[in-house]
Amino acid sequence: MNRADAIEPLGQLEIERVSRAEPLLDALRRRCGGHYPIDPFGLDAQIADAVQPLFRAAIRVRVVGEQAVPKQGPALVVANRGVGAVEPIALGLAALQASGRRLRNVGAPRLPFVGAATRRLGAIAGSEHDVLAALHAGHIVGVPLAPSGLRIHAGDAPAALATALTHSPIVPAAVVPRGRVGALTGSWEVRFGSLVTLPDPYDPRDPLTAGRFADAMQDAVAALLASPTDS
Amino acid sequence: MTVTRVLITGMGGELGTRVAQLIEAKEWADDVVGVDFVPPRRRLRRAQFRRIDPREPDRMRAFVEEYAPHVVAHFGVYEPASRMTPASAHERTELCTQATLHGAASTGVLEYVVVRSGLEVYGPPSARISVPGEDVIPDPRTPYGRSLLDVEGAAKGLALRAGIPVGALRYAPVVGSHVPSPIGRLLRLPVVPVSALSDPPFSLLHPDDAAEAMVVAIERRIDGPCNIVGPGAATPWQAARLGGRVPMPVVPGGWGLAGRVAEIAGAAIAPHVVELLRHGCTGDGTRARERLGLTALAPTQQVLRELFDWADVVPIAMNRDVA
Repeated sequence: MNRADAIEPLGQLEIERVSRAEPLLDALRRRCGGHYPIDPFGLDAQIADAVQPLFRAAIRVRVVGEQAVPKQGPALVVANRGVGAVEPIALGLAALQASGRRLRNVGAPRLPFVGAATRRLGAIAGSEHDVLAALHAGHIVGVPLAPSGLRIHAGDAPAALATALTHSPIVPAAVVPRGRVGALTGSWEVRFGSLVTLPDPYDPRDPLTAGRFADAMQDAVAALLASPTDS
Repeated sequence: MTVTRVLITGMGGELGTRVAQLIEAKEWADDVVGVDFVPPRRRLRRAQFRRIDPREPDRMRAFVEEYAPHVVAHFGVYEPASRMTPASAHERTELCTQATLHGAASTGVLEYVVVRSGLEVYGPPSARISVPGEDVIPDPRTPYGRSLLDVEGAAKGLALRAGIPVGALRYAPVVGSHVPSPIGRLLRLPVVPVSALSDPPFSLLHPDDAAEAMVVAIERRIDGPCNIVGPGAATPWQAARLGGRVPMPVVPGGWGLAGRVAEIAGAAIAPHVVELLRHGCTGDGTRARERLGLTALAPTQQVLRELFDWADVVPIAMNRDVA
């Protein structure tokens, strides 16, 4: 038999959307045969899909304003962040719940092995080049604001990504623990707000525009954080 | 468009021949001539071929000056360990580039030049930039990457002197069943050396897409660099398994030995191939989609399937006509 005859299509695995878990034997067969999609940023759809149930079991997310998340096309989801690594996962689960799409979180660590592992799960580098490339590829990209410790402030917009943030629709989001011990019990609420826009026409390459967008984003996230918690 | 004379360097290669076939079918190309040190791989209907070794730069330059092309498609860029040694590849690339570009510029009728380049000019992907766009400053770390950047530099110098647009197509590694390519040859070994410490993504380009991109670049007069890279990617481990091969993990100090063994097995490994296997090689193809309209390039994993679909030996029955 020709080797090509033995090669199967990629099946239902997709870069953009999370697929249902396969039976273990099928998954192993697919893995050993190399029949899974990889994207240029390093996302391994099979591995990323396989860990989704673990994330869902560890972190419970309630989503508010899910209609604000675009179902297709490039978009940025800008959210607050505390000190931990849980918020990006919670945001990713919320975006998945809201749109069925895989969120590409910005900020893959620049560490050997750890960086590669997070890229396998869909993270991308925190550089303007890679964020723009991800938007060009039509992904929905999660951008964290500067860490704010107690999660009561919005944090500054990342200056290194300022220009990249002007090229696609921006959805503000607030990630907050549900109740006083939500962060400990893995119970989170993610609130999505209306698209951040500027009233006037603008040049996406203009640094002044980038600054205005950064301010508007921060204000929008702060407003979502200030809205009453439904715990 | 009133193009009359088109010169294709490196026409003897698979890509050069395919480009010649596409261009001779175009009405705007009144006359098509190619040069190389080996003859074309396929039948050409209108295009003419002149056998000149780039190691004879005076002869090459004299021919180019005599022909006085309006358009130059510069495929005289030779990949190390593809059809020749790294030293020969570098020498021929440099001599062919200089003789062709200087000869063409001196005629005063040159309107457009497009050169073959590659994603290797960016150097290995970093933790900060993993999918480089054309605005990323090139930082090649391998002899082939530097050679490609030299070609781009020579073309850019010509553009400034002659005041004409010059395109540089930065191809992902071109792999196909009939294209002599070190990475393609390596992946077809029964045992494929892969990095033990990483499994980075790389992108490939189908030969037909590479040829089409060159022709569209001429028609649209694309100016400046342009990544030509299909959607998706694969990793070395995955590519080996897709072809039913056995991945052989190699630790950082072991690539010299792996290279020797692979060379004995018939697949010499050039430094840019080691770079691809250890660090990956991808690029942002947005500009090609937007400016060249290349929206249907073959995905990397399809390119791999076609590579592995090519049987090692084609069985032919004695009692049956096959051609």
